[in-house]
Amino acid sequence: MKVKLKLKGIPLESGVELERKAEQLPWSSEIFLMSEEVGYTVASDSETTATKEETEIEIAIGIDIGTCQCSLAVWNGSEVELIRNTRNQKLMKSYVTFRDQSPSPVGGVTNQLSHEYEMLSGSSIFNMKRLIGRLDTDPIVHQASNTLPFLIQTLGIGAKPFLAALVNNMWRSTTPEEVVAIYLVELKALAEARLKRPVRDVVLTVPAAFSRFQLTRIARSCAMAGLHVLRFMPEPAAVALLYAQQQLHKDSIADSGSEKIGLIFNMGAGYCDVAIIATAGGVSQMKALAGSCIGGEDLLQNMMHHLVPDMDTRFASRGLEEIKAMGILRVATQEAIHKLSFQPSVQIDIDLGNGTRVCRVIDVQEFEEINKGVFEKCASLVTQCLHESKVAKPEYIDDVILVGGCTNIPKLKSIVMGICKRNESYSGINPLEAAVRGAALEGALASGVNDPFGSLDLLTIQINAHSIGIRADGNSFVPIIDRNTTLPARREMLFTTAHDNQTEALIVVYEQGDEQQLLLGYFKVVGIPPAAKGVPEINVCMDIDASNMLRVMAGVVMPGSGTKNPVVPLMEVRMPTADDGHGLCADALYRSLGSTLDLVTLHNKLNA
Amino acid sequence: MAFSSSSCFFTSPNFTVNRQPISANFATAERTASFSTRSQRITNQSSLYDVLGIQIGADTVEIKAAYRRLARVLHPDVGNCDSSADEFMKVHSAYATLSDPGKRADYDRSLFVRQKMSVRSSILSSSPAGFSGYSGRRWETDQCW
Repeated sequence: MKVKLKLKGIPLESGVELERKAEQLPWSSEIFLMSEEVGYTVASDSETTATKEETEIEIAIGIDIGTCQCSLAVWNGSEVELIRNTRNQKLMKSYVTFRDQSPSPVGGVTNQLSHEYEMLSGSSIFNMKRLIGRLDTDPIVHQASNTLPFLIQTLGIGAKPFLAALVNNMWRSTTPEEVVAIYLVELKALAEARLKRPVRDVVLTVPAAFSRFQLTRIARSCAMAGLHVLRFMPEPAAVALLYAQQQLHKDSIADSGSEKIGLIFNMGAGYCDVAIIATAGGVSQMKALAGSCIGGEDLLQNMMHHLVPDMDTRFASRGLEEIKAMGILRVATQEAIHKLSFQPSVQIDIDLGNGTRVCRVIDVQEFEEINKGVFEKCASLVTQCLHESKVAKPEYIDDVILVGGCTNIPKLKSIVMGICKRNESYSGINPLEAAVRGAALEGALASGVNDPFGSLDLLTIQINAHSIGIRADGNSFVPIIDRNTTLPARREMLFTTAHDNQTEALIVVYEQGDEQQLLLGYFKVVGIPPAAKGVPEINVCMDIDASNMLRVMAGVVMPGSGTKNPVVPLMEVRMPTADDGHGLCADALYRSLGSTLDLVTLHNKLNA
Repeated sequence: MAFSSSSCFFTSPNFTVNRQPISANFATAERTASFSTRSQRITNQSSLYDVLGIQIGADTVEIKAAYRRLARVLHPDVGNCDSSADEFMKVHSAYATLSDPGKRADYDRSLFVRQKMSVRSSILSSSPAGFSGYSGRRWETDQCW
């Protein structure tokens, strides 16, 4: 009943959809109930007047879901405004605590932690951004399963890992999607209370390293929470938009053509992104984009392993004592890392129970040595990006824009500034709010808002972070849309059959990730007229539209039959189609079909 | 559009996605080989300079400014729903070719051949000496003024 009431303001269609979603989720009705009970103090003054004037347009809100903390922002009619929770926080911790029966799960938006240890008691799930959409063969999931105080079981078979929270001494299963959805429901309720209107459309910032598979998982979480993702925006793209707006105010000659080259380095708790942008006249054009799942969490894990080398086995049983010890270790390590950004050394003195005591002094050199690998990876991302952007010299970079919590670490700062041969970074941007502010700007743009003062005459021309291609030429990856291709994009390529009289061909679509290729989906092209191998032409076209939707199209043409006469109807498939077990699926395809339905590249790309 | 291959139907004008006709010819330098050989058949097609609305001699700054100006109008992210991805892709592909000195030189050469063809056909009788080879401007060197 409550669900229906809450949904009154939303168009019927979406309400029905929501109700259907709500039925699948036992907790969701309780969540809505809860958000009513919590009773946000509704802002009554000028804050919301601007949005009222534009009631005909629903302005999409910007959400930055961080590994560690989240934030919400919206265009209020004249500028971007961050939405604060009831505790006046702009940045809210990302976690969801599961409890027995009532009250239902609560997240970091509404919940007040008495102490950080409460979040580490096994009943709270966090770090979801690093887990969502990953398989149990993923090294990131393995690391997480060893170092996080809740339960992540991996079997290493290419399926979804098992995730559980400790409630009343019982491991209760959940999924990353569900956890993110619970959190988003709280964010949505907060935004609705503040803006006094239903909120449905959102622009979400995501790391550049996110695979399309991870994006669909986040989109699913949003759907569960009754939100519609208008745009996914790589975090550097959001920062680039904010930068473009700031530059707009600086140079009045909008179309002067004198562009500024910026390097954006974004590193938070979970991910690191680097981008090179060229900005002029309110338009930020992305030149290169690179990202990796590397962040503060890695620094923390490395440091914890350094302090307690046998922690993986020591805490493996996840008993109450072990969970408590893990919590103590995590909090102490986190504090130590923070302090090492400002002081040369730090004293750690913790009691892990069972007579184990860690008492050490760690200095900055030691910290940097422990995390050498992380820093090297960051440096390589920056140099790779610079190289791919074709900016001839680092000296041509006008501004180095550092965002994300980790950029407080002196070593990291010096690495990036060193490569860019700069002494000072760009100072006009709040490193913790840049992404969400950019997302709110994009939300206003994508909702069709016009600003009379020209503050929204902005655009980020985005590029593709991963190359997308198909399997051909004997089990190898043939990219069709390369990385750093300007979006929207459409590319096509010709293939042919690998065997004589081959009448069917399997199109297996992959995305090139940071280290591995991920299966996005597959479909079969049938009805190829029997012919010698290499004769039929199979045209595979990939199209990414402005909202980042990928479609793969395929058609068969026999030489001489002409363009207008494809042999069989064309196929158009939206990707990804593969679901939870996409790792398993790739193996199964190869095992059961072998090379019988293979393709071979026929020509070079038809268009680049 | 009988460009390089018979099966180029996804980027041909007849193929539609989202019920919007696709008018773009994604002609970048990689395709200019076929471009120049078939140049006679496509003389009526507008040049990449026309797509960006600039003069043939435009410099890099002008090209970038024109691209940005058009992007602000045509990019699908810019609020008005009627701006289509295809229009922007066409502009971007023109920009991608013209902003790269190597690709631009190739394109200009093919364009030159194209123009020469049309010029020759129209003034064949009055100017029998005509043009020979690449005796005109060498764009790959001239464009860096």
